[in-house]
Amino acid sequence: MDTQELLQQALEIVKEWTIEVTQPEENRRDIYIDARNIKPAVKALLIEGRWGYLSAITGLDSPEYQIDEETKERKVDPEKGKLEVLYHFCNKAAIASLRIRLPYVGAEVESICDMLPSASFYEREAMELIGITFKNTPITDHLILPDNWPAGVYPLRKTFKGFEKKAQG
Amino acid sequence: MEPKQKSEKFVVPIGPQHPALKEPGHFEFTVDGEIVTNATARLGFVHRGMEKGVEDRNWTQGLYLMERVCGICSHVHAMAYALGVEKLANVQAPPRAQAIRELVAELERIHSHLLWLGVAAHEGGFDTLFMFSWRDRETVMDLLETITGNRVNYSANVLGGVKIDISDAQKDALLKGMDFLEERTEHYMKVVTEDETFLGRTRKIGVMTFDEATLLGAIGPTGRASGVQRDVRVDSPYAGYPDFPVNIITSDAGDLEARFIVRIKELYESYRLVREIVDHLPEGDLTVKVPRRIPEGEVISRVEAPRGELLYFMKSNGSDKPERIKVRTPSLCNWGSVLTTAIGHKLADMPMILAGIDPCFSCNDRMVMINGKQSETQVWDWENLRQYGIEYYK
Repeated sequence: MDTQELLQQALEIVKEWTIEVTQPEENRRDIYIDARNIKPAVKALLIEGRWGYLSAITGLDSPEYQIDEETKERKVDPEKGKLEVLYHFCNKAAIASLRIRLPYVGAEVESICDMLPSASFYEREAMELIGITFKNTPITDHLILPDNWPAGVYPLRKTFKGFEKKAQG
Repeated sequence: MEPKQKSEKFVVPIGPQHPALKEPGHFEFTVDGEIVTNATARLGFVHRGMEKGVEDRNWTQGLYLMERVCGICSHVHAMAYALGVEKLANVQAPPRAQAIRELVAELERIHSHLLWLGVAAHEGGFDTLFMFSWRDRETVMDLLETITGNRVNYSANVLGGVKIDISDAQKDALLKGMDFLEERTEHYMKVVTEDETFLGRTRKIGVMTFDEATLLGAIGPTGRASGVQRDVRVDSPYAGYPDFPVNIITSDAGDLEARFIVRIKELYESYRLVREIVDHLPEGDLTVKVPRRIPEGEVISRVEAPRGELLYFMKSNGSDKPERIKVRTPSLCNWGSVLTTAIGHKLADMPMILAGIDPCFSCNDRMVMINGKQSETQVWDWENLRQYGIEYYK
């Protein structure tokens, strides 16, 4: 089966949850779905459909910027913007990404670890670096950040610019 | 971190950074007698915040930063990044540059597989093999130094091509080096398939079935040793691979022995590719011009690192700096898949099972052993565990 046929097959499987489909590259489709449909969609595509494998989960901060009138500096508009979670599934050269948009407040999505235990790392990573809550994910300990890292500070958010205090020594 | 006993899965993660062997990390195995029932990990001791850091650098500086994600497979990181930027900018590096990228990538694979062979042998208590394979690895390290100027972080890539060319003298050295290594590899193949003591540690141990490997997303030689036909070089050829294709190597056994055999067979394949590229190196330029500002867009750049598929998700906002670079290193996938299936294996097999996926693992600094029944906690380090494994099989 060639790449386009594979992609067509993936689109077909998750059709009932699809909101919108985009084509960022020849061999890719981004399939926007609602956050609450992530489990049935992953189940249909991977667990039952056996379409490729989950290659990565990308957490993405997509803020909207406003230009400060006086300083001409580009600043993040705290009111607007969104977080995104991309579940990349690879099958040969084809990549289908299930893509969900989440608000900054209450960025929550169901964990898929009960179906796919190996997704735990990806979820932990997105959890602590971007601040997405994965409901019912089995391990919530810090994976990468230090133990004394302040709660609610997510380094890969665009608003994070480092801490005030410089490191000593 | 509190030891967890209720969860049933064995999970050992690696972060966006790519820590190499003998670097810090922390595992927790839960065992019932001799059998592992659960394990968890804590990383980040060498986390350097590169994904964040790259957002504050321009596209060219990013190349040098991303090359330093991993010391063992630095070239594939730089190549994945450069290919991604070129895709975003809609330019293509010239054929000669693409072939040289493949050449360096295959030399890197040879060095990485030989390094792994030594480490895996060491974990199994077979230090002679470790010494031999690391001695022979020097051949390929010298070759890499000859053509790029560096033993690690070769820095062969620039955005839009490569900065090194291959001279006739270097071609001769490469061919000679491949001949020597091929002969040595014959010997290694014999050892790992015939030596009784070695087979005792590898045959039918750590078996991952085809079904598990497919579903859980095992990649690279780890997946291919379970019969999974996944190799980015074949599935979605990049750089020079469309012109110099690679043959996929798989095995159906799924045990540790199969992971040894697949990697050693891949060495032969790499020797063949190096020879072929040296003999048929396309003529032409080494670089094309890449704009300083990269057009808006999102791309995924995938390459086959020595340990499996390496994935870069790259987003540009149209400026001279990346908006987001997400790196998913192959070890992360393989931890997830192998370790999910490691439950139920003997504790004494853990060093070999862990080493068997060729983890770029930071790890094993300290291990907490929790005896499920008596809830006594013993703290071991990796050396204790390695010795335990060797003693167990004496």
